[in-house]
Amino acid sequence: MINSLQRIHWIAANTFLEAVRQKFFHALLLLSLALLGSSVFFQQFNFGSNELKFLTDFGFAAILFFGSILSIVLSTQLFFNELEDRTALTLLAKPVHKLEFLAGKFFGAYALMFCFTFALSLLLAVLLFWRETILISQLADGLADGRLIRYGDVFVFGLVQWLKFAVISAMTLFIGSFAQTNLFTIVVSFFALIICQLQYIAREAYVGIESSLARGILHLLGWIFPNFQIFNLGEQLVYPVEQPLALSTLAWLAAYAGSYSLAFLLLAQLNFRNREL
Amino acid sequence: MLLLLLGLARVMRPVEQRAQAALSAAQSDLALSQIEGTLGQGIILAVLGGFRTILADFSWIRLNAAWEQKAHGELDALIRLVTTLEPDSVYFWINSARMLAYDVPHWRIDAAGGASVLSATQQREIVEEQAQHAFALLARARQFHPLDSKLHLEVAQIYLIRLQDHAAAGEWFLQASQLPAAPYYAARRHADLLQLQGLNQQAYLFLKQLHQKLPDEDPYAQKNIVLERIQQLEASMQLPAGLR
Repeated sequence: MINSLQRIHWIAANTFLEAVRQKFFHALLLLSLALLGSSVFFQQFNFGSNELKFLTDFGFAAILFFGSILSIVLSTQLFFNELEDRTALTLLAKPVHKLEFLAGKFFGAYALMFCFTFALSLLLAVLLFWRETILISQLADGLADGRLIRYGDVFVFGLVQWLKFAVISAMTLFIGSFAQTNLFTIVVSFFALIICQLQYIAREAYVGIESSLARGILHLLGWIFPNFQIFNLGEQLVYPVEQPLALSTLAWLAAYAGSYSLAFLLLAQLNFRNREL
Repeated sequence: MLLLLLGLARVMRPVEQRAQAALSAAQSDLALSQIEGTLGQGIILAVLGGFRTILADFSWIRLNAAWEQKAHGELDALIRLVTTLEPDSVYFWINSARMLAYDVPHWRIDAAGGASVLSATQQREIVEEQAQHAFALLARARQFHPLDSKLHLEVAQIYLIRLQDHAAAGEWFLQASQLPAAPYYAARRHADLLQLQGLNQQAYLFLKQLHQKLPDEDPYAQKNIVLERIQQLEASMQLPAGLR
């Protein structure tokens, strides 16, 4: 067991180093940071203290959007690079189980997603602190009660999205385990992401559908695909609200994300076991 | 494979429902049917995909552009869009109501030829009509924020500034003052408006009750100002010393 964990750790560490060197990661990270930095131009609109809300929404959308793209593309590239370069053959010739290989790939990409999410959350927190300080000095009446923002919640949002990225990465690896090309994996993964994001709407809709077959299919889709809507907690965070986010909700989300990630990895292993490399 | 996912979904359903319940309790429902015509299909996907608040923010920026261009029709559509996308933001409701009540009447009067062409009665009708639009918007806002005094204060200000209706404005200031975390000035304004209507006795009794409830240590309560007004009313009504 310990040897297995060590092998997973080595593969993950190697995957992380390889991922950090990916040009796509550099480009997307720079783009995300630049886009987030450009959000300070909201001050041109003179929205007063509401500018902070704009900044927060913009930052959260950037983490959500770019993080989702990076999860899919990175997981696909890291997996298929090993297959196309035939390094997977060399690795699996050693006493490395295919599940260890997949787990190592997953954790390596996931560690990089942590760095990405943390970097964006940190920049957002810094920008919010800077703008709030300026607005407090400019709008003495509007911000008379002091700081509005709970800075810890910015990182809580990042953490919640990072949990979602685990499911996305695992789902991508599952799709990659039976796909023949990385383009197919990326495209199908994006469609799966959209289904996961919107399936809560389908569930509400199938209640009213007359056709039992259609209702059954939608019901089935709702059970197979995880519900990503439950990770959209931005409105409960950062600003004082009547019902702040409970710690138990975070725990439930972590359990939900962990379970689906594990399930997709196990399914990937089932496919990968019989795959000819 | 399918069975594994179905089994996992069955096990995880209570977890998902708890998280969904926590999310639904804190966020207002999206009444998409009200704005479907305004949105393209791509936008609908983005809204449902978790980008609702950022789309509301960008729509607000578009709304400000329409406001600068005095595009009345586009303004109305964007107000509906923004307040439907993000009904939890009081800022959008209040500023939209202000545009409708304070700015649009002048646009309409200018579009009809200006104050020199329209009679005072016609101008007054336009102002009242727009004020009613603003009241309707703020009434919808109160469905989402029933205990937010800022919405009541906004109604009061429109009655006072645009319609010069002291009685109605005073009533709304009173309602605002009774809500949690209401600003202290709401109650004082109610008393001021009672005096403007010549209801000095009512204003006097109200201020006396108010003075007893105000905290001593909070400078915003302006307890000394309230006391001064009570004393002024006592002098103007020439109340005997025993009744003061």
